[in-house]
Amino acid sequence: MNFNQTRRTFLGQAGLGLGSAALSSLMGIRSASAASDIYPSAPHFAPKAKRVIFLCMAGGPSHLETFDYKPELDRLDGKAMPESFTKGQPIAQLQGKELKVLGHQAKFRPHGKSGLMVSDYLPWTAKMADDITVIKSMVTEQINHDPAHTFMNTGTAISGRPSMGAWVNYGLGSLSQNLPGFVVLTSVAGRNPQPIASRQWSAGFLPSRYQGVEFNAAGDPVHYLSRPKGVSIKQQDELIKSIIQLDKKKLGQIRDPEIETRIAAYEMAFRMQSSVPDLMDVSKEPQSALDMYGATPGDGSYASNCLLARRLAEKGVRFIQLYHRGWDHHGDLDKYMKVCCEHTDRATWALLTDLKQRGMLEDTLIVWGGEFGRTPMFQGGKGGAGRDHHIKGFSMWMAGAGMKPGMSYGETDELGYSAIKDVVNVRDLHATMLHQLGLHSNRFTYPFQGLDMKLTGVEPAKVIKGILS
Amino acid sequence: MKSFTINANHLFLGLGLFLLSPCLGEELDFNRDVRPILSDKCFFCHGPDSNHREADLRLDTEEGAYAKLKESGNFAIVPGKPEQSEFMIRILDKEDPMPPVESHKSLKPKEIDILKQWIKEGAVYEDPWAYAPPVKHPAPKVKKSDWPSNWIDHFVLARLEKKGLSPSPEADPVTLTRRLSFDLTGLPPKPALVADFQSGKISYEQLVDTLISSPHFGERMAIYWLDLVRYADTVGYHGDQDHNISPYRDYVIKAFNNNTPFDQFTREQLAGDLLPKPTLWQKVASGYNRLLQTSHEGGIQAKEYNAIYAADRVRNVSEVWMGATVGCAQCHDHKYDPYTIKDHYTMAAFFADIHDKGYTGNILPTIRPPEMVILNPELQPKADRLEAQMAELVPPHAQAEISRLEMLRNKWTGQLKSLRDDKRKAALQARITDADKKIAAFAPQDKLNAFYRLRKQHQTLAKQGRRTMITVAEKPRTMRILPRGNWQDDSGEIVTPAIPEFMGQLKLPEGQERATRLDLANWLTDTAKGSGGLTARVMANRFWYLFYGRGISPSLSDFGGQGQAPVNPQLLDQLAVAFYESGWDVKALVRLLVTSRAYRQSSLATAEMLARDPANALVDRQSRYRLPAELIRDNALAVSGLLVDEIGGESAKPYQPEGYYRHLNFPPRKYQQHNDPRQWRRGLYVHWQRMFLHPMMKALDAPSREECTAERPRSNTPNAALVLLNDPTFIEAARNFAQRIVSKGGDSFEQRIGFAYQEALNRAPDEEEKAIFKQLLEDTRAQYDQGENEVTQLGKVGISPAATDISPADLASWTTVARGLFNLYEFTYRN
Repeated sequence: MNFNQTRRTFLGQAGLGLGSAALSSLMGIRSASAASDIYPSAPHFAPKAKRVIFLCMAGGPSHLETFDYKPELDRLDGKAMPESFTKGQPIAQLQGKELKVLGHQAKFRPHGKSGLMVSDYLPWTAKMADDITVIKSMVTEQINHDPAHTFMNTGTAISGRPSMGAWVNYGLGSLSQNLPGFVVLTSVAGRNPQPIASRQWSAGFLPSRYQGVEFNAAGDPVHYLSRPKGVSIKQQDELIKSIIQLDKKKLGQIRDPEIETRIAAYEMAFRMQSSVPDLMDVSKEPQSALDMYGATPGDGSYASNCLLARRLAEKGVRFIQLYHRGWDHHGDLDKYMKVCCEHTDRATWALLTDLKQRGMLEDTLIVWGGEFGRTPMFQGGKGGAGRDHHIKGFSMWMAGAGMKPGMSYGETDELGYSAIKDVVNVRDLHATMLHQLGLHSNRFTYPFQGLDMKLTGVEPAKVIKGILS
Repeated sequence: MKSFTINANHLFLGLGLFLLSPCLGEELDFNRDVRPILSDKCFFCHGPDSNHREADLRLDTEEGAYAKLKESGNFAIVPGKPEQSEFMIRILDKEDPMPPVESHKSLKPKEIDILKQWIKEGAVYEDPWAYAPPVKHPAPKVKKSDWPSNWIDHFVLARLEKKGLSPSPEADPVTLTRRLSFDLTGLPPKPALVADFQSGKISYEQLVDTLISSPHFGERMAIYWLDLVRYADTVGYHGDQDHNISPYRDYVIKAFNNNTPFDQFTREQLAGDLLPKPTLWQKVASGYNRLLQTSHEGGIQAKEYNAIYAADRVRNVSEVWMGATVGCAQCHDHKYDPYTIKDHYTMAAFFADIHDKGYTGNILPTIRPPEMVILNPELQPKADRLEAQMAELVPPHAQAEISRLEMLRNKWTGQLKSLRDDKRKAALQARITDADKKIAAFAPQDKLNAFYRLRKQHQTLAKQGRRTMITVAEKPRTMRILPRGNWQDDSGEIVTPAIPEFMGQLKLPEGQERATRLDLANWLTDTAKGSGGLTARVMANRFWYLFYGRGISPSLSDFGGQGQAPVNPQLLDQLAVAFYESGWDVKALVRLLVTSRAYRQSSLATAEMLARDPANALVDRQSRYRLPAELIRDNALAVSGLLVDEIGGESAKPYQPEGYYRHLNFPPRKYQQHNDPRQWRRGLYVHWQRMFLHPMMKALDAPSREECTAERPRSNTPNAALVLLNDPTFIEAARNFAQRIVSKGGDSFEQRIGFAYQEALNRAPDEEEKAIFKQLLEDTRAQYDQGENEVTQLGKVGISPAATDISPADLASWTTVARGLFNLYEFTYRN
């Protein structure tokens, strides 16, 4: 499956500007000369979005405490869940338990000109009511966290497939020569955090350079970015230069095009040593910006990561994924909704508003959501009332880049159990995202194991036209 | 608008066409020239999948293609007459072409020509190459008759001569020694070995023998095998807890070192527990069936996970042994190969007797019974003695029954305390008394007491051993076909173990109703009545890949309709036959592969060679490629002198960035690096955390081992550069190497850099290289002398102490030189 080498070998000997071709190849940067029939070198049609910021609320936030208001749910609070809803349905931790309805844990109110219903847990999100597009009819296929994340990120629950950020970079390339095209930022807070596998940002069968790179808030921002203690910047630079010099000499002797790719990698590593720490240092932001996000430099919080996301977007990172891992509220739903919203609500608003003020929301697609929703049914335990995992209907929102703002799309039934109108599955979400980036999900393929693999898989996927402006 | 399906792989096919396609006037080969087109462009709608077949037309069989079309009454293919064939008419139809526009597939003019020519020549079908058992081929005659060293060379050279090409000259002795040493042991050659071969003291064959009989041979082969079978130290899903399996890795290493025949190797892994009187290591081998990813997440549905595990095993066993993607038939009949959805589930049924329950609790390591304990070799005799003594007192089956009864009794005794109701209390007490009675019935009390004493000793001993998951057959679960792969759908037919229907049927001995994993293993390696020939070809192709850098068929795991046909099918067939006829002798196959003239070629490619055949499909040279992650680590450790080259044992935990496991939970994880010589063990022993593989391994393309990996990517990324530049393992190794350079390399710069090059690259530096390193050394040294940074800091990296008899400035400066050497292309490449 070693296409990389083949491709690069070809590039190397096709007489393209060698150094730059290797660098382009390494970075997945599209240049006018970069053998357009080898790379998927241009979008299929004019894109609305240049980049994506995916705000992943890992654990599965409750749609019934955020966007999906159901008066009937409050009316039946504490009563037995009508069996007609649940019979034969997959259930996670409530297997074999008595099923009771749990009413909304917070009040819902209409907001903005659009009158979008938002719960009181999300006062800052409510301010964006006219900017976001809420999909209330999401469905997924996986009821446990790990496979559900994998499904949301890669379009299948089978391990080893590329994540959407890798796909997008493979398709469109990076816009930055100093930074990876797919960056992952994680933050903790809230309930016992969800474990997240690095599989979630894997390049799968795509060339390794498209994999997501995790930027760490503490320690080295990128693994092994810092030079060893006792080595000065000057010494390190001279060492890298010597390595490049010796490899170039080798290249003169043996013409292996892989050496060029290697030299480009060392050049990029060299630049990353200064570009990444600079980027990560949000202390240079004006106090007003820090206040807007509620960020404290270096704290690794979701708020700081939102601010970082904006900085990354400005520097040309194509796909930015933020994880907040506290949303698995089997118990103490009210308490943990408050905690999680406290950590995320304002910062999410700040990110959107900041991008808007900078004119970047037009070509940035923001996606917010978890891997699934939560049951209308009560789950009890040691603490207060909670909800179990739920896959038949939940809410997500998108904003920016060609979305119709201030609207709600799709519906669940009267108890918020099953999506019944304009159902959107994960494949449709992917297809829509790709569409905004100028990519046609059916034509965007990569051969693997004899198949033309797609992010959207083998089942049909449709662009959700109803939410596009 | 551009089609995205054009990419590197297709480009390769395009280039391949020049090399592989018939020369003008040469006859078409169905499997090589026609099938790939039909498969890629037509089979999706007109192929084996009966539920998704358009116009009731199938083009994957002669019968289907020649039949009268239901709607029009015409014929899709009229052999010899393309102009009358509806197939061609529709392909050429500009208004309504085939393949249809919405399929996003289209035929190139060259492909249309081939299809036309094929029909003209009679539209002859051949069985797919991958399903036709390999047959013997005589070594072809060659013009350059003094070149071949063994019969492999005849096949390679004949193909080259047909294309008017010639092989490359032999590589120099140093390159050959390094190539062989990395390929066969995964370690750089000892300088003495290079000298012996260079001086002619030992012959090439002796060099091969030395390396192939090294205990490191098994380690090198194991790296590849562990990728195939997805060996890892953790469960892979959700909490990604550790599980007990490292003795299985020891088994694999042993098997390669002992040259266990491949058919036996197969039986032991798939069905070690079902062999008559299985040995300890055969039981360990059966751990293969437990290597899959499992989830210990609370709230998982047993039924769903049974389906997930079943599919996982089918994917792996079919990819590893059959080079087939039977996993694709989990939801529907295979789109390109004759595997049906039923085949998927009958194959899964072989594994329905494996215990997959009870994975709960967030403890480390997690408990996944059945497991057994492997002791160090020096303790094993003691354990054997104890077991024999125990067996004299109480027979083994009774021992197991006693344990079971004791467990129940203890559980009941615990429950007794919390019971209030007297009636229920009495009932439970009666059951306890009954269990005691049953235990007492097994042996007189004095014997039982003696048994208990011995058992206690045995348990104490066992605590010093390593646990490992094994397979113990239990009553098979019911296996149904799951329509569309839906685990909630119980409407599917109940199936029992069977091989794919189109490949025949297993003949079971009289009285045996249900086929077992052992029957499957036997079928996979039976060359007369089973698919042994095909298995041999799958494996021969992979061994070729290991020593030549690319498979004869580049599709190492997809010997199906969509896989690329072998460049040199006769050679591949002949290798497969030779492999099984030798009695599945792996070392003999490896020896054959590395003693050919083709193997010994130089890997230097001219611009012309690169342009003509960038992937080196025709083997007119050796290949050069980056070493696998483990070997880059091993190389640095070996050259530094730090390497601990013990064979086998538990996994090792090298330095790792702080907080790297912070995303793991259930339970939260804190990585504890090993602060003893385990720190410097070989890469294949590094703790394999599926969700967060060591970042060094990951940066150098080691797979997470969630699925079968037959071929790793070979990338050069900035992350990999950062690893080699800054990972403490490499800094510590460089410092230790620097100590050797300064203390053993002589006094002058000239002597020292010469020594360093010899140790790291087995050659002398040229003037330019010396000048570059001299400059680097002097500049670095000058900065230390000016006190610009703390010179002793570098001595604190890692757990090995820095030398005290060398000045810190000397040590730090030479460490920089050593780092430079470790970062070179030449150091990280096999050529």
